[in-house]
Amino acid sequence: MTTVAADVTVRPPLGRTQAIGWFVVVVGLFTVFGMGVGTGSAPHSTLTFTPIDVSHGAPWHLGNLTLPTEWTLVLLGALIVALGAEVLVRRLVKGAMVRVGLMAIVFLVAVLVWASRQPGPSQVPFINVTAILVGSAAITMILIYGSLSGILCERAGVVNIAIEGQFLGGYLVGEMIDSATNNWLLATVGGLVIGALMGWLLAFLAIRYLSDQIIVGVVIVTMFTGLSSYFNSWVLTPYPNLNNGNIASNLAIPGLMKIPIIGPTFFDETGFFYLMMILVGLVSFALFKTRWGLRVRAVGEHPQAAASVGISVERTRYVNVILGGAVAGVGGVAFAAIQGQFTPSITSGFGYIALAAMIFGRWRPSGAVAACTLFGVSAYLAYNLQSYQVPISTEILLMFPYLITIAVSAGLVGRVRPPAADGIPYSRE
Amino acid sequence: MRLELRGITKKFGSLTANDRIDLVVEPGQIHCLLGENGAGKSTLMNVLFGLLQADEGEILIDGEPVRLANSGDAVRRGIGMVHQHFMLVPVFSVAENVVLGFEPTRSLDRLDYARAREDIRSVSREFGLEVDPDVTVESLPIGLQQRVEIIKALGHDAQLLILDEPTAVLTPQEADALMAIMRSLTATGKSILFISHKLKEVRHVSDVITVIRAGRVIGTVPPTASENELAAMMVGREVSLVVDKTAAAPREPVLEVRDLVVRDDRGLAVVDGVSLAVRAGEIVALAGVQGNGQTELVEAITGLRHVESGSVLLGGRDVTNRSPREILDAGLGHIPEDRQRDGAVLSMSVADNLVLNTPRRAPFARHGTRNLRAVRDNAETQVESFDVRTSSVDAPLSSLSGGNQQKVIVARELSRPLEALVASQPTRGLDVGSIEYVHREIVRVRDEGHAVLIVSSELDEVMALGDRVAVMFQGRITGVVDPSTSREDVGLLMTGSTPAESR
Repeated sequence: MTTVAADVTVRPPLGRTQAIGWFVVVVGLFTVFGMGVGTGSAPHSTLTFTPIDVSHGAPWHLGNLTLPTEWTLVLLGALIVALGAEVLVRRLVKGAMVRVGLMAIVFLVAVLVWASRQPGPSQVPFINVTAILVGSAAITMILIYGSLSGILCERAGVVNIAIEGQFLGGYLVGEMIDSATNNWLLATVGGLVIGALMGWLLAFLAIRYLSDQIIVGVVIVTMFTGLSSYFNSWVLTPYPNLNNGNIASNLAIPGLMKIPIIGPTFFDETGFFYLMMILVGLVSFALFKTRWGLRVRAVGEHPQAAASVGISVERTRYVNVILGGAVAGVGGVAFAAIQGQFTPSITSGFGYIALAAMIFGRWRPSGAVAACTLFGVSAYLAYNLQSYQVPISTEILLMFPYLITIAVSAGLVGRVRPPAADGIPYSRE
Repeated sequence: MRLELRGITKKFGSLTANDRIDLVVEPGQIHCLLGENGAGKSTLMNVLFGLLQADEGEILIDGEPVRLANSGDAVRRGIGMVHQHFMLVPVFSVAENVVLGFEPTRSLDRLDYARAREDIRSVSREFGLEVDPDVTVESLPIGLQQRVEIIKALGHDAQLLILDEPTAVLTPQEADALMAIMRSLTATGKSILFISHKLKEVRHVSDVITVIRAGRVIGTVPPTASENELAAMMVGREVSLVVDKTAAAPREPVLEVRDLVVRDDRGLAVVDGVSLAVRAGEIVALAGVQGNGQTELVEAITGLRHVESGSVLLGGRDVTNRSPREILDAGLGHIPEDRQRDGAVLSMSVADNLVLNTPRRAPFARHGTRNLRAVRDNAETQVESFDVRTSSVDAPLSSLSGGNQQKVIVARELSRPLEALVASQPTRGLDVGSIEYVHREIVRVRDEGHAVLIVSSELDEVMALGDRVAVMFQGRITGVVDPSTSREDVGLLMTGSTPAESR
């Protein structure tokens, strides 16, 4: 009674790859001629590298870098054109996705250069590269927790669309425990437990009752959104000391944090950031190098084959979905640790962006890290570009990850191939 | 290994799938289990492989009763199974597939690929089954994928191999290679339980044949039994194994393709300049190893795939790149290759499936609303005249056997005015009785003066049914020959070479 999964490989025909190439070229030309040429020789853009928060000591000082706006934009635009030309000439299918990602990054840099030009409309007369990276790293970290959760579940064949809810659960529980005990470690354990429980609920409904995993996932998110709002008004409002909004302090790594740009971004972070880095390595290793990982992937690709050699499909899926839930729960605590007070719907769709990053990253931890970084930087800029007087609204910029995801899932860019049994309930005849 | 089944009984509700089955497989023997679809072969194999538990009876291995609670137990007892639908993960390498479930590891649970490769090489060497351990399975042709399944079983030290309809997916050449492998395996003392409903190969390769029907053992016979005898045991009545047909009386061409070029999903020209004319009153059978463009050719003719260049004519009308709806309305009947995916909607009733191609036409619809009474009446008539075995016309199609599902599709396609009929693999997976029936219907369509194009990868079917045989190789027609041409020569055309006499 199981449906044989159709060939889900999305492989765009050559014409589509060409369209992508031309699109990239057009973006490049726009950068050159729309933003670059015509700004004149007067405006300059300045890059600075001093972090805002230097409470753990500043890194070695780097001077400011002042660039002629016009020529920098022309150069960046030319770089984008070159990326597009490469797609066109080499007829890249698989590599198109990476090129589009690179284009997005270069284009974001170009927008910053353009926006911060002086004399110009911007109130901020410089681009603080380090501050942008530090700010983006926080968002990226949250997204990576979510993506890892998604990877753990989907590699075993269960779609975890409830990441958003698990974030919310972890956030709420983590915030309360930290407020009560002033201990982020305890908060982490709490978030882990609530996330695991929510994962178990998803697994139970999806595996035991063969429910549609996407519907169950959405139901869990909706239910928890309501539940946490209710909780907020009936518990947190009357007892504000359970929602004190403390944020976790950074644990700077001596020495390494002295490296300009890299130090503040990677080595002057909260424990959650380091934990995330360890998890990325761990999940990568476990999934692709170990016996456990081989079995998990077999269950996600072809559960009947796994069962025929004595692997328990149900157990594997339970374990992975619970693990995935726990990771997302911890991600929720990390969210609380950088954001502070709980308010209803505080996670504002980050769980879904994380899922999108997982798809863009082709269900691999390394790919997800790259996609989360791209989405993290763009989300950070979306919230902060106003100060540069960029005539694009935050909401439009926040749509970026979803636009990319639609393009990727529709096979417009490159090709994605989910685990073959992803989302398909398994039953033994 | 000597395997003995004693009185195995398995019931599903009121249905007795296996009824006191006794069977003995001696060491070094190829024992064939012959039976129609639904006779209980698969149930028995699943009991033997630990996937199902028998209600009664016992399994003895080398005289000792064993209990097989799951497939892991069966594997540990030395039973290996090669499933009809391969149990291989397409994106894994050969090595990963072979070791799955029994992985050699190093510290930290890491997979020991070096040892996995070495194990595969040693199995390969021992049994002469060459395959590169590092290629991904999906990049291998079907025949090699099956070899990986066999290596997987042997790698787990199987002494008894169960092969479930192993030739159903193979080309004739691959099937011959498999037979050779089976012989060399039994020469080393392994036993093979071979499940099939193809009489020719069963007689060719088996040492002993056990025929089952409706869950019961009908008899155990030596391979010297005639095909007619075996068929009668399987079906329970005499069946005709040759297609009964008179000489064709072809008239004007009805279905024509000219210089057709069609691309597949990857953009390759898999139909590369094909010209072919099918005349009224004749059956043209298109032979060829699967994957040489036959599927895409049929899709192009029926409007399911874009034609790059060239044209398709039906009754003198150009229907190139018209919609399937227009082409069907122009009088083309189509029995698709994958009946469950493209030929019918399994979850819909028999009655609805019978009007799938004419739902908007009177009398089945009027003013945009369906006339359920007419649909039902039509279904009652069709089920009666095409002898479809179903509990009711309202039953979902999925509740019917494969043969009866195909009858529903045949009934639907043949019960309206036709110019031409295109049938792809019309008897794939069907039992002897149903094959006989479908063949008779196709010949009847021809005798009524229609043009018929048959696509089949079964050489026997092509030779028996075709009035002319066209052979396709790598997107081109390599020859159009008379069905009296020798199998060897047609086989050569199928590999692209040109035998002296056919040109």
